[in-house]
Amino acid sequence: MNPVWLILFAPLGAAAVITLVTQRWKMLSAFVSCAAILLGFVLSVGIFLQQGQWQSPEPLRWLVLEGGWVIEFGATVDRLSVLMLLVVTGVGSAIHIYSIGYMRGDPGFSRYFACLSLFTFSMLGIVLSNNFIQIFIFWELVGVSSYLLIGYWFERPSAAEAGKKAFLVNRIGDFGMMLGILLLWTEAGTFSFAELPERVAAIPAGTLGLISALIFCGAVGKSAQVPLHVWLPDAMEGPTPVSALIHAATMVAAGVYMLCRVAFLILPSETALTLIAWVGGVTALMAATIAITQNDIKRILAYSTLSQLGYMIMSVGLTGITPAMFHLTTHAFFKALLFLGAGSVIHALHHEQDIWKMGGLWRKMPVTFVTFLIGTLALAGVWPLSGFYSKDEILLLALKENMALFVVGVVTAFLTAYYMGRGCFVAFFGRPRDRHAYEHAHESPLVMTAPLVFLAILSVIGGWGSYVPHFLQPEGHGAHHEAWKGFLLLLVPAAGFGVAAWIYGRAEPSDEPVKAALGRLWNVLENKYYFDEVYLWIVRNVQGAVASGCELFDRWALQRLGVGGLAGVTGLAGKTLRLLQTGNVQAYAFVFGVGLTVIIFYVVVR
Amino acid sequence: MNWYAIQLECLLAILAVVVLLTDAFRPVRDARRIGLILSALVGLTLLYSFTMQPLGEAVFQGMYRLDTLALFFKRLFLLATAFVLLMSAEFVERIEAGRVEFYVLLLLCATGMLVLASANDFILMFVALELVTICFFVLTSYLRRQVPSLEAGTKYLILGALSSGLTVYGIAYLLGITGTANFEKLRAVLTEAPVGEATGLWFGMVLVLAGLGFKIASVPFQVWAPDVYQGAPTPVTAMLAVGSKAAGFVLLMRVLMTGLLPLEPVWGPVVLGLAGASLVYGNLGALPQRDIKRLLGYSSIGHAGYVLMGVAAVNALGVAAVLFYHGQYAFTTLCAFLAIVAVTRVTGRDDIASFAGLHRRAPILGLALFLAMMSLAGVPPLSGFFGKFQLFAAVIDRAQMDARYYWLAGIGAAAVVVSLYFYLNVGRAIYMQSSDRTDAIPVSWPVRVGLWICMGAMIGLGVYQRPLVDAALQAARVFGLE
Repeated sequence: MNPVWLILFAPLGAAAVITLVTQRWKMLSAFVSCAAILLGFVLSVGIFLQQGQWQSPEPLRWLVLEGGWVIEFGATVDRLSVLMLLVVTGVGSAIHIYSIGYMRGDPGFSRYFACLSLFTFSMLGIVLSNNFIQIFIFWELVGVSSYLLIGYWFERPSAAEAGKKAFLVNRIGDFGMMLGILLLWTEAGTFSFAELPERVAAIPAGTLGLISALIFCGAVGKSAQVPLHVWLPDAMEGPTPVSALIHAATMVAAGVYMLCRVAFLILPSETALTLIAWVGGVTALMAATIAITQNDIKRILAYSTLSQLGYMIMSVGLTGITPAMFHLTTHAFFKALLFLGAGSVIHALHHEQDIWKMGGLWRKMPVTFVTFLIGTLALAGVWPLSGFYSKDEILLLALKENMALFVVGVVTAFLTAYYMGRGCFVAFFGRPRDRHAYEHAHESPLVMTAPLVFLAILSVIGGWGSYVPHFLQPEGHGAHHEAWKGFLLLLVPAAGFGVAAWIYGRAEPSDEPVKAALGRLWNVLENKYYFDEVYLWIVRNVQGAVASGCELFDRWALQRLGVGGLAGVTGLAGKTLRLLQTGNVQAYAFVFGVGLTVIIFYVVVR
Repeated sequence: MNWYAIQLECLLAILAVVVLLTDAFRPVRDARRIGLILSALVGLTLLYSFTMQPLGEAVFQGMYRLDTLALFFKRLFLLATAFVLLMSAEFVERIEAGRVEFYVLLLLCATGMLVLASANDFILMFVALELVTICFFVLTSYLRRQVPSLEAGTKYLILGALSSGLTVYGIAYLLGITGTANFEKLRAVLTEAPVGEATGLWFGMVLVLAGLGFKIASVPFQVWAPDVYQGAPTPVTAMLAVGSKAAGFVLLMRVLMTGLLPLEPVWGPVVLGLAGASLVYGNLGALPQRDIKRLLGYSSIGHAGYVLMGVAAVNALGVAAVLFYHGQYAFTTLCAFLAIVAVTRVTGRDDIASFAGLHRRAPILGLALFLAMMSLAGVPPLSGFFGKFQLFAAVIDRAQMDARYYWLAGIGAAAVVVSLYFYLNVGRAIYMQSSDRTDAIPVSWPVRVGLWICMGAMIGLGVYQRPLVDAALQAARVFGLE
């Protein structure tokens, strides 16, 4: 049997075993879940090492219907999916292990690991899918597991609301994606990724652009791009390791991965590419500007994630599939690291997430501090950390393709360094602002710090030698590094950190100078450009009005007349038939005989 | 003697006789344990049956066929028997006397069904049919102190005798006119001779149809079903719903699609009408029901209608759909009855209201019964959905040539909508209604295992249908239809 099946189904098995059998024994449940993903990681590394002898397993013919309608259940093994397998299982393993420490003592410990395994299964399903139906099913499964994990502390109303919001917003994007898939099927007659590329050429350009744009809607939802980005910051209500795994490293990257997987659809369409590039660029800039005003350490990271996803989407829109996947990979390393570091701080401070209540933590939590600093530098794109290489590829690509987007990218890079610098200075330096919390702060246990170190190492070396792009495009990959331009770009994060240090690098840092400088703009940013408010207004007024109109029609026309009438007639018919069933055996024999006579009459006289 | 062809029947008959004799000389004290052992033995027989290969030619002077279709149904009957014996083991304490004979009668009944699956001749068919029916006369009235059970037995006896009489009368007509009782020879005779105005032939055919219509509980021969389903001991009801019905359908297909295929223009519209009438009657009649077994009786009439859709289509797709439907319907129905037996063992009541709050008292029973109801209603991703999907696909396929079939598909679709109401009603009782009784209902491990198997099959066949679809398509080739 091909090992990819084992990689895919081991987490599902773990989820089932935990739910049905081991739920009562917490540590055993955690062990089962971790073992499943570690097995997946080891097998993925094994597959990776056998480069050149890859074979996609024979797909299962899942549904075969009349008229050549075949839906397969398959697994694609190629450079793209192997890279993604390594990222998902590698980062996932670190986060699974970290969770053992972070979630210790939580009453739903086993449920947490069952959900985590379910998520891993769904995510690997997206990675391995070989057709649109399969990817859509797993796409939705990922949505479900994300919903379960965001609302993991469902007794908190805010968590339950956030889960609902994430699910609903994602559904909007998924609806577009489904329309795109169906439209594609009517044009090309197949769902298979293997067969589609050759049939795409026959589709008229306008239709293809529409299909690409519709399928891109799915990515907009899942990868939280403007205007469907509103769910991701709220999703931080989930446990921090979940934010690291799902809402930073893997699931939100699924949109980018999907676009790369179906690049053959998008690349021929100029219009779709422009749309995608600008959505990415706008998201990158907008999220970065919001991040400079946030006070919750996880929300800063959430907006930073949005911004980095914007980079990736922008890269796809500029036809840079390889740079997008490169940045996806390095981002998975350092963003998971940052979230886990933030989780370590939150854990130490008993669930305090406000950076203004921290301060001076570097003395108390050296490992967390150093690894968090590495993550910050990598995210800002400082040489020689991984983020430098991947971000530069995207920026240099933008410089070549589209000057306006290049400027957007550079400004975003500056802001990235600035807001991460602000977060670091406020949380780790300066004088402790909350004496009580500071006294009780302590370094996290080994089970949490070991994954931090593992991810920190990856964040440092992940970009060296541009290994990932070479792996994806062995025959020589496009954007050749012009070293001097890259190093010139180093000035951007340096400037960002410099400004942050100048404002916040003091014993009693404060937002006041920035507030004074930005004036009204600060309020707009602090309120996230009022997206939530506008959406709420639309939902209340437009959707509400339509809904009450429909409700009236439904209640009076459909329920009273339509359904009520039909149900009345049906029920009456049922009761009438009951009269036939008198319980009297002579009557039964009579019915029998009459029925028989009618049939004979029909057949003979006809 | 060709022992290979009848080895399964022999195994069951010997098992029945051994149990009967053992009990006569050394009376059994723990009837429950015997039931579980017998259930396991029949289950092993089922596994063994997968090693058997079909025989190309009919044996015993052409009376008996061991083709893929026969094997398919033999396995289905063995599966049903194993589960019904398991149910009986849970039920047997409610029987006052003759506990072991209850098992023996079930085994003999199963033997008759296995023979029926292979019958290729009217005479063998009638004999085996009587073996099954007479066992059921006794089994339905087994709770001899309970009036409903006795009443059910009496009704089944009288109406069963009526239908047997009509069947044998019809056989006489067919035999007299064509001079043969063998299905294949009959087909040859009918193909050669012009059958233009053979009124006697049609008359005989309708009478045989009536007898089989009684077995499958199709309108207008369905009147017994609700009363007998309600009154009979629950394991017997399950056997009627799964085994007896499937036996009726395999015979119906053999008679119509082998023997009487040349008369298709005559019986086609009749089956079409019976299908539509059963769909309407079964699903509307179920609406006002308050008793779960009676509800399942009406539901059984409705399902006869669905399956008749596949028969009426008279194409390979239709036959395969009928087989697939029976395969998944067996798991679904057995799941429902197994859960009902486990619940009523404690509550002692059959009305739907007594299932209120079941999911708190016994989560696994609540889940199993709920899934079974949803599968019966045809809700994806459960197996019932795909079963119905195939049946409708077969009818639509036929409708391309004969527009009347669109009407049948329309009636079927309406029936599905109506049926959701009463199936969901059971689900509502289980999950949404609370009851004042909250004490846990104990579930024994054999029942648990049985329920997991059924639930696994319902979900498994709903998600990945190919194994059963392939088996059904292969068995459907027996008739050589397009």
